[in-house]
Amino acid sequence: MLNTILALILGLVFGFLLNKAGLTKYHKIVNVFRLTDMAVLKFMMSGLVVAMIGLYGLREIGLVTFPAIPATYVVGNVLGGLVFGVGMALTGY
Amino acid sequence: MEWLRRQLSKELWSPYAAGALLGVVGILTVALSNSLLGASGGFENLAGLVGKAIAPTAFNNVYFNFVMPPGITWQVILLVGVFFGGMIGALSAGKLHWSWIPDVQWAKVFGERRWVRWGLAFSGAIVLEYGAGIAGGCTSGLAISGGMLLAPAAFLFIAGMFMSGIATALIIYRARY
Repeated sequence: MLNTILALILGLVFGFLLNKAGLTKYHKIVNVFRLTDMAVLKFMMSGLVVAMIGLYGLREIGLVTFPAIPATYVVGNVLGGLVFGVGMALTGY
Repeated sequence: MEWLRRQLSKELWSPYAAGALLGVVGILTVALSNSLLGASGGFENLAGLVGKAIAPTAFNNVYFNFVMPPGITWQVILLVGVFFGGMIGALSAGKLHWSWIPDVQWAKVFGERRWVRWGLAFSGAIVLEYGAGIAGGCTSGLAISGGMLLAPAAFLFIAGMFMSGIATALIIYRARY
């Protein structure tokens, strides 16, 4: 139950931030592929940097344990990425 | 307080600020729920639920039985949150409205016809979700959540996604690129 409420709250904040970064707009998503608007990358990379530092720091002092990381299967990951990019550039999701 | 109210009513934040806060959300997700911020997985859980109800034999395979078991999972609840969170974001800036064509840029490239938008959004989303299924995640679940745990899969996925995304945008936009 608590976990469900957490999912809802985390989702709400996630959606809110996506909206405020403008990533709920078609042109923001497509223009990163046209290399004319880097908002998607700025958003993703600053998120990554903060989370990487925070998570590894917290693990160092023993406050978090990591969940199973997404599996690595090189061909599948790259192929999936290639298919995904086509869809992303078409829909602007 | 006044500052907070002013920020909330802004339509767009600096993507760096929003991104940094996303990082905090990512940390909290791992720390509190021991899960990852996956978005596409939820759709697959839902698809499995619907599929098993209408075509049980077709959906009785390894993928829908073990890789992405159907059900109202943590990720499905997260999706509900994302949907309403996005709405709250737009509402807080007074920008929440119904629109058929996403924006000026779309109309310039594809015209004002609604079926084109709906058709492309739908088929593009199928391609996208299929790709996420192969790779094991999408932009948020694999690239961001995997990346913050330094999963190699995330960086392979990002490379693939940008390669084909840029190529697709080149083809769609041609001279307007």
